[in-house]
Amino acid sequence: MVFIRRYGTLIGFVAILVFFSVMLPGTFPTARNWLNITQQTSMLMVVAAGMTIVMVMGDFDLSVGSAASLAGIVAALMMAAGQPIWAAVAVALVVGLLGGAFNGAMVSLVGILPFIATLATMTMFSGIAFVVSGGKTISGRAIPEDFGNFARAGIPLGEWGGVAINLPNLSIIAIVVILAVWILLEQTTFGRRLYAIGGNMEAAHLSGIAVKRLRLIAFSLTGLAAAAGGLMYASRVASANPVQGSGLMLNAIAAVFLGTTMSRHGEPRILATVVGVIVLGVLDNGLTQMSVDSYIRQVLVGALILVAVGAGSIGQKRR
Amino acid sequence: MAPSAPLLSATSVTKAYAGIPALSGANLVVAPGEIHALMGENGAGKSTLIKILAGVVSPDTADIKINGTPVSIESTKSAYRLGLRFIHQEFNVVPTLSVAENIFMGRRYPRRAGIFVDWADLNRQAQRALDRLSIDHIDPRQNLGTLGLGDQMLVRISAALLDDAKLYVMDEPTAALTADESQRLFRVLREIRASGSSVLYVSHRLDEVMTLCDKATVLRDGRSIDSGALTNITHDDLVALMIGRKVEEAYPKAVAAPRDTTVFAAANLVTPGLKPTSFSLREGEILGIAGLSGSGQSELIRAIFGDARMTSGTMALGNAPYVPFSPATAWQSGVAYVPRERRAEGLVMRRPIYENITLAHLKSQSRAGTWLTPNREKRFAAELGANMRLKAVGPGQDVIELSGGNQQKVVFAKAVAGDPRLLLLEEPTRGVDVGAKFDIYSIIRERTAKGAGVILVSSDLPELIGLCDRIAIMRDGAITTVVDAAGLREDDLVNLCYGRTTGMVAQ
Repeated sequence: MVFIRRYGTLIGFVAILVFFSVMLPGTFPTARNWLNITQQTSMLMVVAAGMTIVMVMGDFDLSVGSAASLAGIVAALMMAAGQPIWAAVAVALVVGLLGGAFNGAMVSLVGILPFIATLATMTMFSGIAFVVSGGKTISGRAIPEDFGNFARAGIPLGEWGGVAINLPNLSIIAIVVILAVWILLEQTTFGRRLYAIGGNMEAAHLSGIAVKRLRLIAFSLTGLAAAAGGLMYASRVASANPVQGSGLMLNAIAAVFLGTTMSRHGEPRILATVVGVIVLGVLDNGLTQMSVDSYIRQVLVGALILVAVGAGSIGQKRR
Repeated sequence: MAPSAPLLSATSVTKAYAGIPALSGANLVVAPGEIHALMGENGAGKSTLIKILAGVVSPDTADIKINGTPVSIESTKSAYRLGLRFIHQEFNVVPTLSVAENIFMGRRYPRRAGIFVDWADLNRQAQRALDRLSIDHIDPRQNLGTLGLGDQMLVRISAALLDDAKLYVMDEPTAALTADESQRLFRVLREIRASGSSVLYVSHRLDEVMTLCDKATVLRDGRSIDSGALTNITHDDLVALMIGRKVEEAYPKAVAAPRDTTVFAAANLVTPGLKPTSFSLREGEILGIAGLSGSGQSELIRAIFGDARMTSGTMALGNAPYVPFSPATAWQSGVAYVPRERRAEGLVMRRPIYENITLAHLKSQSRAGTWLTPNREKRFAAELGANMRLKAVGPGQDVIELSGGNQQKVVFAKAVAGDPRLLLLEEPTRGVDVGAKFDIYSIIRERTAKGAGVILVSSDLPELIGLCDRIAIMRDGAITTVVDAAGLREDDLVNLCYGRTTGMVAQ
């Protein structure tokens, strides 16, 4: 029972891999497709990595999708106004960081529940994105070519079956972010303290941990990651509109939850989150290739989360 | 039904959890009209036995008879029908409901016309239940959540006394009660005994058991070791039976007298719950804080620990002024704290032992204050643990898997890990068994030998008298008296707590 609880998600993941490999032998288990998957999931990977930071403390952030959209809009508007790409990217990241800090202030300084605070800022960020963009998609000549080319480029890995294989830039960013979050959560006193807050906030406070400050910082980092995810998205589609990040929030939370089924006490772990993102990405990729309707896909992904998290609850003590 | 049959007899009770025996042949026989103590260290099998009687846990084998009739207790309902009542610390209460509603929980509310709840009658009956314990300061209509822990316990006890039963099983009922509340409870228990019903009484407080109970059954490692009348046994023999070895003293002796240097001083300390309070503490001294629950003990400790808004007053550690803005500054200044509730305030239950110990010392237990060094932390924790006889698989074991006494040792390990100059302790041995208690007292003595000052808040009066050099009595948020602990008697201390001045007070 414990085995199923701990490794059920991994077993399910392997089963999904086997299923798609059998159904799509020519296209699914290829290096090219896998690099494609890493690129398709890179935005979600970055946002989910940021989400993991707050979820370690037992909090969560519903505003990441809106923050991602807003960051994309801000960068696009600046570029449309003739600002250099680096300045646009930097300002967009700062906007994400400040938005996250605002969430953190509401949660830790004012004391509003994260669910309510970030639900409110979710609508606020989204509203601001609509207002500053006039509700329009910013695309075409307004976006410098270099910005859009970044997502298409990558590091050449060689040839495979006569086709050039690149490690996409977006995948590289995702890997760097995962590594950074892994170091932060697993190797530093900061991460240790966040896990202590998630385990028992009062005990952490009485052990001299600056709970309020750490929550503020953690929410800021989540906002920063959301903005990064939004910029990656904007680069990939070479445009920005005020709703393009909206799908990220639910998927990021789902990925972290899928990951928690793999840890000892159900606490979020960054590497488990990575597996969660890949599970969602592989499902999306495989089902699309099998031409499964996207609405059916939604039903399947939702069912998968219920099964994985539900299996985790079975065998746990209940009263 | 033979007239001489015991009220309850549970024989050859065995139970194993995942192959590990919790009970291996325990016997318990309670006669009608007696107060019977169930004794044993944490992990001896007391709670498993009680849970079996309560119908919460089903035994592997058991021969249970009530008044000589074999019964099987399949559920909490059948335990109730058999006339068994259970009062334990983790009793289900709903803080947002009224006292009366909590008393009647699980029972049928009195009705009007069969439909509407007769609130007046409900409150009247609840008041009667409270009256039985002579509780006049609790209004049955007030929300349970507005009461202190001790008062909540009294409400639970009154609820169990609402209808007559054969056997009342009480698990550490006095843990959160003041001395006076305990005395009231004991009076009711003696009434119950006089009426022919019985009480099965579980407590780590031996003095209570010796004065209150008629008989005792001692469990050790899942077996009943001995059973008999308490008049034939001494305090020390009982302890020896429980832990399987002789202990010379309940409280380890101080190795040296307190030094003359002052380690901590507070002058006119005022917080929202604390009236102007001044006192000082010497190196190596243990200052006890006694008083009725809610007299400002916690507020005083929290003020010193930087977890309260200080409106005025000054403090000094050694010769330097001490201004704690937060628990973080307190730890950094060498002030350590063992909180009242170890699960809620002391430990991160689902994290390993070593992480809990180093949590307050991560700056020194890491590289450059930033990079974790788990191996070094584990070695550090293992050394500390061995020193205080912590029973665990290893420093990587999760705290949740440890027994209460060992969990408390982890809290102490965290407190002493930074060599504190001032140690703040609140109820340091609550729910801790005899063997672990002695270990914890030894840890405290070890710190005073090194020159640390200790402030000890406790509702366990023998503990205060046995350990402290001086005892400060708090009433209504201020220290009213400070007395020398040497030669002090328990009833003197009780009188002091109530502000009575009837003779006897130590000079």
